[in-house]
Amino acid sequence: MLTDELSLLALYGILLALTLLAQATGALGQFGLGYLMSSRDEHRSAAGVAARLERALANSITAMVLFAPAILLLHARGAFSPDTLIAAQIFLAARIVYLPAYAFGIVGLRSLAWTVGFFASITLYVLAL
Amino acid sequence: MSTELTVLALAGLLQVAQYVAMAVPANLELGARYTLSPRDTDRMTDLSPLAARLYRALGNHFEALILFTLAVTVVTLGDRGSPATAACAWIYLAARVLYVPAYALGLAPWRSLIWSAGFLATVAMLILALI
Repeated sequence: MLTDELSLLALYGILLALTLLAQATGALGQFGLGYLMSSRDEHRSAAGVAARLERALANSITAMVLFAPAILLLHARGAFSPDTLIAAQIFLAARIVYLPAYAFGIVGLRSLAWTVGFFASITLYVLAL
Repeated sequence: MSTELTVLALAGLLQVAQYVAMAVPANLELGARYTLSPRDTDRMTDLSPLAARLYRALGNHFEALILFTLAVTVVTLGDRGSPATAACAWIYLAARVLYVPAYALGLAPWRSLIWSAGFLATVAMLILALI
């Protein structure tokens, strides 16, 4: 499962789904089920960990927008190699570390994880070229 | 074209339809002078409840579509298409179509249950692509 790039992309999708569930759970704790199921006509802003998970989710989506096309490109060009596999594995590992680092507010680690994931994505583009 | 890709194209058209359904009332309510401007002041709170619901429904589909596109991509490129993944794709689309009126009419808890159906169908596709 961890040894081909497409599976890593699928795993990243599952990571996104889990992040969404964590964010929804945080919102549930803060706003209650009644508000979440309502049409939310009155806007309520999350705070604390719930807000961090909202931002982490948005950041994970941005990261995916950069990562997924690189995998598509490599697949279309038949350019998967041991190097692209390692870069994709590093991307997934960095993005996994990113989430608790954000939720628990570990300064430094979050930015480090973000940077590692970002450069892993860029590496995939360079390898595709 | 596979069922999953056909549904993805239809989901893209749904997004377009949702865009139009949101943009028309938003432009009528806020005025073209504001919507054509760089929108330095946030005036989303001036929207009517219905237009605001359509705006949030669009944002929600954006998020759902990101995950669904990912699922269709891995199923298609990984050659994992099956009757089960095709059924999941249709469930996703049906849920996302129903989600819009459910949000517009403020149907609780139906909107959330419909959302869950689309979400679970997408996650099922991702898992089917992996196993």
